[in-house]
Amino acid sequence: MTTDLGFWVLQTLNALQLSMLLFLLSVGLTVIFGLMHFVNLAHGSLYAFGAYVAATLSGTLGYWGGFLLAPLAVAVLGAGLYFSLIQSQRRAGPMAQVLVTFGLIFVAVDATRLVWGDLPIGIAIPSFLDGQIALLGVEYPIYRLFIIALGLAILALLTLVLTRTQVGAMIRAGVDNDRMAACLGINVERMFFLVFVVGCALAGLAGAVAAPVLSVTPDMGLQILIPTLIVIVIGGLGSLRGAVAGSLIFGFVQTFGAVLLPTLSSVLIYALLAAVLVTRPEGLLPAKG
Amino acid sequence: MLETRSLSKSFGPIQVTRNVSLKLEKGERRVILGPNGAGKTTLFNQLVGELRPDSGTIHLDGADVTALRVADRARRGLSRSYQKNTLFDGLTIAENLGLAAAVALGKGQGLWSDPLQSAEVRETVRDVAAQVDLAPHLDARVDAVSYGIRRQLEVGIALATRPKVILMDEPTSGVGPEMSKGFHRLLKALPRDLTILIIEHDMDLAFDVADTITVLNYGEVVFDGLPEAARGSSLLKDIYLGAWEDA
Amino acid sequence: MFTHTPLRLATLALLAAAALTYAAVAGFFGLEILAEIAILAILVIALDLVAGFGGMVSLCHGALLGVGAYAFTVAANDAGLTALPAMILAIALSTALAFVIGAVCARSTGIYFIMATLAFGQMAYSFVFQSPLYGGDDGLSGAPRPDLSALGIDLTDSRAFALYALLLVALAYAVAAATLRSGLGRSLVGLHHNEKRLRALGLTVWRAKATAFAISGALAGLAGCLAAQHTQYVSPGLLSWTVSGEALVVVILGGLGTLVGPILGAVLFVILKHEISALTPYWHAIVGLILIAVVMSRANGVFGFLETRLAARKPQPQVKEAKADA
Repeated sequence: MTTDLGFWVLQTLNALQLSMLLFLLSVGLTVIFGLMHFVNLAHGSLYAFGAYVAATLSGTLGYWGGFLLAPLAVAVLGAGLYFSLIQSQRRAGPMAQVLVTFGLIFVAVDATRLVWGDLPIGIAIPSFLDGQIALLGVEYPIYRLFIIALGLAILALLTLVLTRTQVGAMIRAGVDNDRMAACLGINVERMFFLVFVVGCALAGLAGAVAAPVLSVTPDMGLQILIPTLIVIVIGGLGSLRGAVAGSLIFGFVQTFGAVLLPTLSSVLIYALLAAVLVTRPEGLLPAKG
Repeated sequence: MLETRSLSKSFGPIQVTRNVSLKLEKGERRVILGPNGAGKTTLFNQLVGELRPDSGTIHLDGADVTALRVADRARRGLSRSYQKNTLFDGLTIAENLGLAAAVALGKGQGLWSDPLQSAEVRETVRDVAAQVDLAPHLDARVDAVSYGIRRQLEVGIALATRPKVILMDEPTSGVGPEMSKGFHRLLKALPRDLTILIIEHDMDLAFDVADTITVLNYGEVVFDGLPEAARGSSLLKDIYLGAWEDA
Repeated sequence: MFTHTPLRLATLALLAAAALTYAAVAGFFGLEILAEIAILAILVIALDLVAGFGGMVSLCHGALLGVGAYAFTVAANDAGLTALPAMILAIALSTALAFVIGAVCARSTGIYFIMATLAFGQMAYSFVFQSPLYGGDDGLSGAPRPDLSALGIDLTDSRAFALYALLLVALAYAVAAATLRSGLGRSLVGLHHNEKRLRALGLTVWRAKATAFAISGALAGLAGCLAAQHTQYVSPGLLSWTVSGEALVVVILGGLGTLVGPILGAVLFVILKHEISALTPYWHAIVGLILIAVVMSRANGVFGFLETRLAARKPQPQVKEAKADA
């Protein structure tokens, strides 16, 4: 089967789809880290929340209602978390922030169980994205192509914002050197808030688009957390390019590992992570030189 | 005791050390002068092994140590203090000195006894505390004492390894003139067989303790000789009055 | 630096007295809980040694525990060893594994260290999970308990087993405390504060870190052996990173870098778990809320809170002593 071109096309598309989903999740996480120096371990929970909101709203408002409102709802939740927990812990240091978000994971898992129950929730794919399309000799689900396209579009948009706009320049300055950025008169607090909320919205978006392909369960946030962390650590914390590289590496290693080396597949990605950290302790493309 | 032969180092296009050859005899006290950015600290970093030179060699007590790592050079009797305090902040002053002495005595990996209780370490702590005037503060935590005392501890930690050669990077940086003078008195009272290399900004104080003077400018040795000669040198005056004053 | 302050000694004495009294009067269920506390206590002592004192926050301690548990079970079941040699072998294996992980991760710090240990832990987890030799998802059963009939002790009796587990906790604590008071332990705390300076003073940093991690791994392996003997069943779940995460929560709730605090944390955690889960299926949320509250209160866990409160009441010299930990 491995000599068949269709096989390679199919798996490459699968890998890209996984990569793009991970990219949506990791980009927010990594930029938040670059600016604020803490890893938001509850990022996966925000993604799960996005998926639940999308699943719930799609019942009444249709898929696109959920698709648009889920990121908004997660952004509002993120803003609430920022003001109630994250901001007040800034002076206590990054470790306190990490631990607070660690505690949030526990709360979030049980909160979703309490509201939505333990059973997986399904969500229908909108009719015009439903079905398959012939592509390079394989039949591929349109919805999965939509995920790839969405990921690429967000990537293009973020690249544009970060490289061409004033806000982007400020963020890059902040990642480079936050004290310097503050000296240059950038309102660091407002920038943190903005980036945090946008990162949350992207996690919510990832949840909304993932909902139809994965089952929506209370522990989906926990399931995605480790892959997301692996992505940003392999890529190098704080860098957009790192998030892209890490997502692609993870997506391809995971997808091709599972079909080509099924016995080794689950060890493979961790072995890669270990290899990267041993040879490049700061990841492949760290934000700071 | 400590010697460099044609040491050179560049960061990209900028050459920070140019062909530096120095030779310190045992017990010599040498002061390195030079404007900011002259490459003084970069030279120190290469001497202790925190930075690799591009070319040239470093010799300690007759042996070529250029390829040795930081810890290995330290074990051969090379010790340094930093321009910016590099202490063990949560610990007491006695623990800071004790830890340094214990590691230098090779007890830093031991499993069967507490080196801080050993006679050797306690004696070293007591001696060094007397040398850098820390005896009254031994039980105070580092983060509870004044900046000046932390500065003394910075040098004390380097001394607690009982080194043959000690490199001090601006030991009086940031302290007032009174404390600075007091520190130089302490410095002069150190054992005569200890080889000392000091980076110092204050010329008068430098002449006060130096046996010999080296002047660095743009990574290059521009003067090497006795303090009396340096004092009269117009070259030093140019550097000192030129680039230096505004530093 | 680690010291046995009067408060710590008093807490230890109190914990020991309470545990022994409870072991004497408790019924079957209570004794099971006591054994569970003992296993968790050994694991958190191991974790606090490296995370609390050395700043090496590890997410592979669950895996080290699991490796110990599996190695013990396999050595006893398949290699036909009796319990004691099997324990020694299992602990040796987790020690060696921890030494390698510690050596390889020695250059990483902060989140990178956490992720590197996670990677190694998950590799061990996947290996055990996927290998048919070790029962895969089903796990292995039949781990024996040590035969102490020569001493007139029957460890199949849950009271005897609980006392035996408490003895191992005391042993683990003694090893950890002795390590912290040794040259290595002093260096470990120094590394936490200033790695660069310690290297400049002549310490071979990677070896100090690897050795400390190995000792911690030995204790985690001991906890694994005890866990295997307790339930006489091992499953891949023991190696999961969530076990490490839970242990980390216990260390933080108890008091990072106090050694005594995490033991107190283990007691409270297991009791809370059983009490709350009897009332509501959402006990994780309660644990999460407690964790958030503890972190936001800025106290160093329950025990750290006690230490600061007590120190605030006493004259100056005591303040120093109580705070002289890592």
